[in-house]
Amino acid sequence: MRITANITSDNALYNIQQGRAKLDKISEQTSSGKNVNRPSDDPINTRLLLDVGDKVKVTDQYTSNISKASTWQQIANTALTGMSDTMQLAKQQIATISNGSSDATVRQSAVSQLKALKQQMVDMGNTQMGDQYIFGGAMNTTAPFSATAPYYAGDESALNVEIANNTTQQMNIPGNQLLTADTAVSQPYGTTNILKAFDDLITAVGANDVTAIVAGSQALEAGAVQINNVQSDVASRVTRLDSMTKLNANNSNTLNNIYSNIQNADYAKLAVELSQQNTAFEASLSATAKISQLSLLDYL
Amino acid sequence: MGISAAMEIGKNGLNIYRVATEVTAENIANVNTPGYSRQRVILETAPPTTVNGLPLGTGVKIAAVERYYDGLLQQQLVNAQTTQGYDTTKSSVLQQVEPTFNEISNDGLGAAITNFFGAWQDLTLNPAGSAERQAVLSRTQILTDNFKTVSTTLTDAVNTQNDSLVPMTDDINATLKNIAQLNGQIKITELVSGNANEIRDQRDQLIRDLSGKIGITYTENSDGTTDIKDADSGASLVTTATAGSFSLTTNATTGLYDVNITPPKGVTTLVTPETGQLGATLALRDTIIPGYLAKVDALANTIATQINAQHKLGFDQSGVAGKDFFTGTTAATISLNTAGITGTDKIAASGNTLLLGDNSNALTLAQLQGQKVMSGNTATFGSYFDSLVSTVGLDVQSAKNTEAQDIAFTKQLTTLRESNSGVSLDEELSNLIKYQRSYQASSKLITSATEMMDMVIAMIR
Repeated sequence: MRITANITSDNALYNIQQGRAKLDKISEQTSSGKNVNRPSDDPINTRLLLDVGDKVKVTDQYTSNISKASTWQQIANTALTGMSDTMQLAKQQIATISNGSSDATVRQSAVSQLKALKQQMVDMGNTQMGDQYIFGGAMNTTAPFSATAPYYAGDESALNVEIANNTTQQMNIPGNQLLTADTAVSQPYGTTNILKAFDDLITAVGANDVTAIVAGSQALEAGAVQINNVQSDVASRVTRLDSMTKLNANNSNTLNNIYSNIQNADYAKLAVELSQQNTAFEASLSATAKISQLSLLDYL
Repeated sequence: MGISAAMEIGKNGLNIYRVATEVTAENIANVNTPGYSRQRVILETAPPTTVNGLPLGTGVKIAAVERYYDGLLQQQLVNAQTTQGYDTTKSSVLQQVEPTFNEISNDGLGAAITNFFGAWQDLTLNPAGSAERQAVLSRTQILTDNFKTVSTTLTDAVNTQNDSLVPMTDDINATLKNIAQLNGQIKITELVSGNANEIRDQRDQLIRDLSGKIGITYTENSDGTTDIKDADSGASLVTTATAGSFSLTTNATTGLYDVNITPPKGVTTLVTPETGQLGATLALRDTIIPGYLAKVDALANTIATQINAQHKLGFDQSGVAGKDFFTGTTAATISLNTAGITGTDKIAASGNTLLLGDNSNALTLAQLQGQKVMSGNTATFGSYFDSLVSTVGLDVQSAKNTEAQDIAFTKQLTTLRESNSGVSLDEELSNLIKYQRSYQASSKLITSATEMMDMVIAMIR
């Protein structure tokens, strides 16, 4: 093949351009620290990266949901512990006059004690998280409990949150299942109307009706068990949420690892490539410079 | 035959080597002229005469000044230019569109969709909270803004392609005219003197330029002219010295340009070029970019439809059934239904008209994110968009690769052409010395003949 000086110079330009393009690619990967800088760099891995990115975001959302649901459970648990303690006090109070008392002052003191304890139960039933009444079911913008029958003005809806893909967890305990269970449609914890039991006892102690006092005391006993049942339900929810948090953290970790494996540039490899490419590029520049000087003109 | 004959041969030699030097000079001067083909002087012996019964030559003569030209290479270059023109245009335009879909950093339309559903998730935790409700509206705004940006970018790209047809067809028309003009000059020049090498080079270069813009077929006629036809429609573009032309008319339905060809002395007809830059521009304008836009529109439409349907099943904070959440059916028109959703209280998070703190509808809305409702119920919103991004990436990648292959192929052909037709300075310089020596020798011949003549005259004295 006949070679002219123009062929040599065209070839040199083409190859220098190719060399520059490779150097530019390595430089981009090094400075951005990423293997894939635009979809066309690697369309298949782009698909994977986007998918992983979406999943990480969704997992983060679930983690945030769980964290809020956990806070809700902690506040519920605090209220339930308070209720349990109050029930304990009420039971002790009743034990002192379980056989009735002829002394009106003793009875009066017991009645006012019971009234105070009942009010505490109502107050704790109206516990708020932010501006939400946590025991109000879906009607949680107004206080659900009052001291007079029918005591409960909330509803029995379950408030669910998503804690994993298509997996929901009930977040709330409807107040009627907790304190006025005889009116609840579903009675998972017990059937006792605790607030009514208090009122019955107050009436019984006031009238010194021993039979009614004994019946009320039994009702309180059953109510205490009911509250304990709710507490264990909340505890099991906390356990579930904790384990889901760990699962999500693991998931998130795995996803981030996959993302990094694909996306993070391997600097050692890039450094070697850069040095190889650099040497090749310098060689081509130097060869071009030398060869373009050659001409018959210099020897004539 | 005498001494004067030797002198005559020497004079001939001087003339001919002067011409040879001129051709070399022309070659050297055009070493960097695009499309120039090197020329050479074809020398042959002048017809012999018979002297004393012996045949003797009468020196040298120029048979022709030829250019080095390979018709097959020209044909291949023309085809390669057409392919390269198509792929280069496609590649560069797609690379301009690609940033719209650059979701690698997860902060474009894809992220906006994820965040939109995230806001609904947050609302499930506090269905009556005004902050959470406000967040839903803000995320909706960001989502619709993102849809509009993508739509605008793609529509702009379509319009840019459409507008670029004007200068492109003007350029093609100018080239066609020049080719026709050069054809005319070649015909006249070669009728008179038989050699129009430079004009042929110019015309062949113009044909190569033209082939980058549209696919062409051409035939070389015996009178030196070249006829050109459009490869896609077969319409004639140049017939000897008359040029046809391209024209644009606005299509009443689409508002975009239609391309027409008027052949020389022919009737204007509608054509759809599929090759060269013109073909690529039309393919991008009519198929490729609208294809992406259709997918984004489908996504916007499905999101609007699905969210609207579910939103209407819920109840707002006044216990009234939810209104349409979105209006619009395309990426360009989708927006919050401000007529129905007049404030945060109109978001229908509750599933029960009486229970304002219920979150069941917000939860169902949030869970739409994971539902496979796109592509015939096989993809979620997120995965549908991800695969669109991946498709664009693949298109750009393959366009880039094809372009690189085309460039390498054309370069190979150009090198072959340069090898055959290109000027080598080294060669011209050695030719120059060769011709110079021959010129010297011819003049020496004349000097010697003069001396001999002097001697003959001296003898007479």
